[in-house]
Amino acid sequence: MTDNETKAEAGAGLIQYSTENVVPFGPVHPALKEPEYFKLYLRGEKIVDVIPRIGYVHRGLEKAAEQRRWSQNTYLFERTCGICSFIHSLCYVQAVEGLTPYEVPRRALYIRLIVAELERIHSHLLWVGLLGHWAGFDTLFMWVWRDREIVLDLVEAIAGNRVHKSLVTITGVKKDIPEGMKSRIVERIKYLADRARFYKHIVDTESTLLARTRKVGNLKAETAQRLCAVGPLIRSTGIPRDVRADDPYAAYGEVPLDVVTRSEGDVHSLLQLRLDEIVASVKAIDYALEHMPGGPIRLKIPPAIPAGEYATHCEAPRGEIFYFARSSGGVSPDRVKVRTPTMANLPTAIELLKGLTMADVPVVLTAIDPCFGCMDRMSFVNLDSQKQWTWSGEELRQYGIRKYFPERKI
Amino acid sequence: MPKIEDAFKSLGAQIDSSKPGLIILKVALQDLTNSIKTVVEQLGISHLSTMTGLDLGENIDVLYHFWKNDLIASVRVSVPKSNKHASSIVEIVPGAILYEMEVHDLFGVIFDGNPWMDRRLLLPDRYPTDLPPPLLKETKASEIRKAVGIER
Repeated sequence: MTDNETKAEAGAGLIQYSTENVVPFGPVHPALKEPEYFKLYLRGEKIVDVIPRIGYVHRGLEKAAEQRRWSQNTYLFERTCGICSFIHSLCYVQAVEGLTPYEVPRRALYIRLIVAELERIHSHLLWVGLLGHWAGFDTLFMWVWRDREIVLDLVEAIAGNRVHKSLVTITGVKKDIPEGMKSRIVERIKYLADRARFYKHIVDTESTLLARTRKVGNLKAETAQRLCAVGPLIRSTGIPRDVRADDPYAAYGEVPLDVVTRSEGDVHSLLQLRLDEIVASVKAIDYALEHMPGGPIRLKIPPAIPAGEYATHCEAPRGEIFYFARSSGGVSPDRVKVRTPTMANLPTAIELLKGLTMADVPVVLTAIDPCFGCMDRMSFVNLDSQKQWTWSGEELRQYGIRKYFPERKI
Repeated sequence: MPKIEDAFKSLGAQIDSSKPGLIILKVALQDLTNSIKTVVEQLGISHLSTMTGLDLGENIDVLYHFWKNDLIASVRVSVPKSNKHASSIVEIVPGAILYEMEVHDLFGVIFDGNPWMDRRLLLPDRYPTDLPPPLLKETKASEIRKAVGIER
């Protein structure tokens, strides 16, 4: 090629394409359910660097918690996430219980375990369905989400609500599981275990799904450990890190639990792992229902919590969640810190993306089961001491009309 | 856990293990890097669960929560509000990068050596630079709501 030809090519922009380009991914993107922004640096089609910008749904829950009572915050932190809501309220009350001298009744610990495991089944089914959807296998999505209704109905039967269970309270739970309900729960969850085994058969044999998931996003155990990954993501590399087994809370110390691991570290192994965990959860619920002790389910305690600091963690469906609470002896917390599993897994996802192509980004980001809403957390929701700031549905509608159609009369 | 306590006694740490399963090791700010190295390299506790910032009036306490098996070990340092600088631990624990950014956003602590200290992670772009970071006690929730335009 002569110099002139090189110049002509450069003028047409052809040579520039081979240098580094920046592609914005998000904040609003069809592959993400929630707004999040990733700045992707590309050389050719390969991703060389990723810079995340989170916080688009940051609602300031940690600040809001400091202005509420300890008991009110149970409901506030339940709203951190719309999928793993129970485990957030559970971890929060564990942090508070760590500051108090009371012992939680054993029956309540068993009920907490049962509902936490039901939530894990629901969350894993949701993810399997979504991955089927992203991989272009919508039949799987519809089948799995139909089965997810079963577990949501069970949760509704126990707690009275499908998503925000509002079941757990400081030093106990609010609703008991009646004897007559046990046989029905066992029957339904055994059906779910059968379905999970059937889906695993599909996942292992269906060639389209294998092509989209096998050897995609190869995570090494060393990388996952170095970047402090948690949950199914690190267990898919062969490291059996699970809070339920390592540092048992609720009744996990008394209920046998299979910790499922894989060694491949790709998206396919994450699918297998989550389906196996559903079967393991069913086993644990079955055992817990059979061996549940009698007695009270909660204690009555005064609203002020003794001064001190306590840190605790739980195994959410997506991995370890971490709560830290500090009390100065009053009726409101001094500080509550929340760390959700997506925040812990984000550095790993960024590392995984490097070296891949643009087309792999949605699959890899879905594979960590991101929940950006709970990573961001929290809103400066209304309510400070002087001013109550709640809106009825009608007021919200009128605000919307005023904002977007200022000329229109309401 | 006698092993941890032995390793930290030489660093002059205040050790609090009054709650079962928790141990808090309070060290001086200049010993931070050494302490984290002790935890990660000497004791083999490599998983950093998270970092917590606490506004305690004169100081901002930063806690580094490490987890292994049934123990949460927290290394604690006090950063004076007059000089909010601490050294970054990203070199030792690469997974700490986002946690440091979070504490930087919400408390204003600057971690020297973190490559991403120049940008925001959580706070909106419209959060004013003259308003103190949101989780400090002196910042009122109503001021934040006004500043980001939720409330007039």
